[in-house]
Amino acid sequence: MKRVQLEIVLGTILVLLSAAIVIILGAREPQRLADYEVQQRAELIEFGASVFVTNCTRCHGTQAQGITGVAPSLRDENFFTRRLAEVGWQGSLEDYIVSVVTTGRQISTRPELYAGGGIPAMPTWSEKFGGPLRDDQIRAVAAFIMNFEPYALGQVATLEPLLPPVDESTPEGRGQAVFVQAGCAACHTISGISTGNIGPVLDGLASRAGDRVSGLTAEEYIRQSILDPSAYVVEGFADGIMPQTFGDTLTDEQINDLVAFLLTLQ
Amino acid sequence: MLNVLRRRLNIPPRDQWRATIAKIIDDRVRIITAGLSIRELRAVMRGDPPTEKPNPRYKVITTSFIAHLRPRYYPQAATWFTHTYRLGFFTTFLFIVEVITGVILMVYYIPFPDQAYESIKAIESNVFFGELLRDLHRLGAEGMVIFSWLHLLRTYFTGSYKGPRTFTWLTGVILLLITAWLSFTGYLLPWDQLAYWAVTVGTSITESGPVVGPALNLLMRGAPDIGTGGLLRFYLQHVILFPLLAILFISIHYYKVSREHSISLPALVEETQRTPDQKKEDNRRIDLIPDLLSHEVFLVSLGIFIMLAILFFRGFASPLETHANPQQTPLDTKAPWYFWWLQGLLKIDPAAIIENLVNPVFETFGLGFRLELSKLLNSKFIMGLIVPPALVLTLMAIPYIDRNPSRLARKRPFAIMWGVAWVFIVIALSFMGTPQFGIETPPATRIIQDLAPEEGEGALRAIPYEELQQGIYVVGEDYGPDLCPTLAYQPDPEGDVNNVVVGCPNLTAVFREFSEKLFAAEADGLLPDLNASLIVEQFQFNLARVTPHVEWTDPETGDAKTYEHTYFLHQDRPREE
Repeated sequence: MKRVQLEIVLGTILVLLSAAIVIILGAREPQRLADYEVQQRAELIEFGASVFVTNCTRCHGTQAQGITGVAPSLRDENFFTRRLAEVGWQGSLEDYIVSVVTTGRQISTRPELYAGGGIPAMPTWSEKFGGPLRDDQIRAVAAFIMNFEPYALGQVATLEPLLPPVDESTPEGRGQAVFVQAGCAACHTISGISTGNIGPVLDGLASRAGDRVSGLTAEEYIRQSILDPSAYVVEGFADGIMPQTFGDTLTDEQINDLVAFLLTLQ
Repeated sequence: MLNVLRRRLNIPPRDQWRATIAKIIDDRVRIITAGLSIRELRAVMRGDPPTEKPNPRYKVITTSFIAHLRPRYYPQAATWFTHTYRLGFFTTFLFIVEVITGVILMVYYIPFPDQAYESIKAIESNVFFGELLRDLHRLGAEGMVIFSWLHLLRTYFTGSYKGPRTFTWLTGVILLLITAWLSFTGYLLPWDQLAYWAVTVGTSITESGPVVGPALNLLMRGAPDIGTGGLLRFYLQHVILFPLLAILFISIHYYKVSREHSISLPALVEETQRTPDQKKEDNRRIDLIPDLLSHEVFLVSLGIFIMLAILFFRGFASPLETHANPQQTPLDTKAPWYFWWLQGLLKIDPAAIIENLVNPVFETFGLGFRLELSKLLNSKFIMGLIVPPALVLTLMAIPYIDRNPSRLARKRPFAIMWGVAWVFIVIALSFMGTPQFGIETPPATRIIQDLAPEEGEGALRAIPYEELQQGIYVVGEDYGPDLCPTLAYQPDPEGDVNNVVVGCPNLTAVFREFSEKLFAAEADGLLPDLNASLIVEQFQFNLARVTPHVEWTDPETGDAKTYEHTYFLHQDRPREE
């Protein structure tokens, strides 16, 4: 066989093999595209979760469960079924989340629920309007919140996140659980438990609480601060930020446990 | 009557129809092939000698535009495979692959920071053959860099830059620079962390230049940091300016080879005594049609097949890291591998080296004088802006420096030694440029990074979702052979139902590796008072949060230190097989 012929034959075989590869890849392509779509959504949710944890938990709670008097839950049925009608939004819920996160909210739509009449309600988050987040981060956060939908509608159960181990047999242990569940952790820092920075740091609270207001013991001062936050406001913090409603939302027993727990913070 | 009509309409008699039709077809074919008849075409495909005189195959080269760019023939000796290895041919082939795939990718790509990354994601998940195109483009780019370097080395070692081909060498070096710059500008376009930081590091070199440095940097980046303007500048350079320059210089380079000097003959043929028979064979004409052309078509089909096969068997995949984040410098910033030698160069501080050599001498003689070069010379400026251009100029000037007329390897030992030495120097510099060399990371950070690198998967992210059982796994506590002995799950519920995994082998392995590395660091005294755990929580119904947490006492300051990193792992995340 002449060299020209050999090369034509080999070249033809190679072209046929290449075509076979392209055909096989093409046959797999629709499945691959579908898989990639699912995987990219999963990665978007993961990314959104990390953005949410660093930026949003301070007001919306460690797991988007909301904090009474500060910000609403983002994983309850109301949010997924009635919120759009309430504000008169025509588009999808995901777009609504993107829109609200991007521009923030200057005035609360439900001022009666929030401290200070809901002003300021929510800061702008998009870097277009002076916030810290890029557009893709905001879309990721929206994807993460949308992933609560099956849970919010009662279709699946989400396990509660792991908290630092708590000894439920003692009032102090139960009080620590109340501290996290009632949302105190979102605003107040206690080393090893929470990192909130809206209200005062509570490390060493028990040792200074007795000296705050003359005539009140440490225990009485802490109790008053929970039930009637405006009675004494620590210097450097604004009045009206801390919810006034803990007297109603917590039982007496829970408040006793909480005070007992806070008194351990030497 | 009929005959009159036939004459009027110029219709040939019935018995001449066949010949007439054959002539009409032949005329058309000759127009398309620029001179080859059907019979001749057949002979070409069979490798037979020309059927007509004068040789119609040469007519193709004189008349057609494309073929006119080609030589009529090469002497047989110039086509030895071991002489050229077809390296220049494959470089050009890859350039054409880049142009074709690049033009298609341009249709889907958006050169704007807000959308660039997502458009790449969309190419991968929403464009039929999108991933294949992107992989081909990336593979072709890296291949083109490799082949252009190899082509340069081949030309150097065979001494083909000598004599009349000095200018060809010069255009070749320019093409090498264009290739490197094309790859570098393309590197930024995906707008992921890898792209953003590689280009930030790369462009920062210009900043150290005197007087014009900051202005040059601004010109390249479009702003103090790479943003919308910078991306657009790189994009336009990548898709318009440098492809056009490449085409221009490839044309000049190729014209010199094909029309002016032909491919160099092997030195063996040119400079040694050959027998008359050998001489006759060496000078035998290898015609463009059919020999060279069929060979080239074969090489093209081979090239396409190899590229597709590499991608088919997953030997290569274009990386896509997380979205570019100017606020967060990755732990390991690295340039593209073909610039590692440059990064290695930047790690050398010549001023310090000279100081260390000279100052002890001054001290021994008690001169009371210290040389402080570092104050005068900025090493980044020298190693980034003086040395590389000097190297490039030297490379360009090689034909003018090397005046040895001989091309035989044994008659130019110095040139060969220099070439080999430089290959080793570049490899050594590249090795120095890799991120592992010379940068230290705190042990706790490094251990967690090893389990779950910032980019890419790592052992931690590869844990199947089913194994992420909620719990605080404390390092040092004995959990038995498996962390979750009661667990049993089907890794592939839709496929093999009988395949059941008992326990959580992957989670256990990761926990074990984490513990062992921490204990090793503790034993080395790096992490005293170690207290660590691996915390696994369920965050959403299909999303787990994994937190490796390390507490220790700083051995130098005695401060209590904590390091932890949070990873979110979704059920559907891509897990490598």
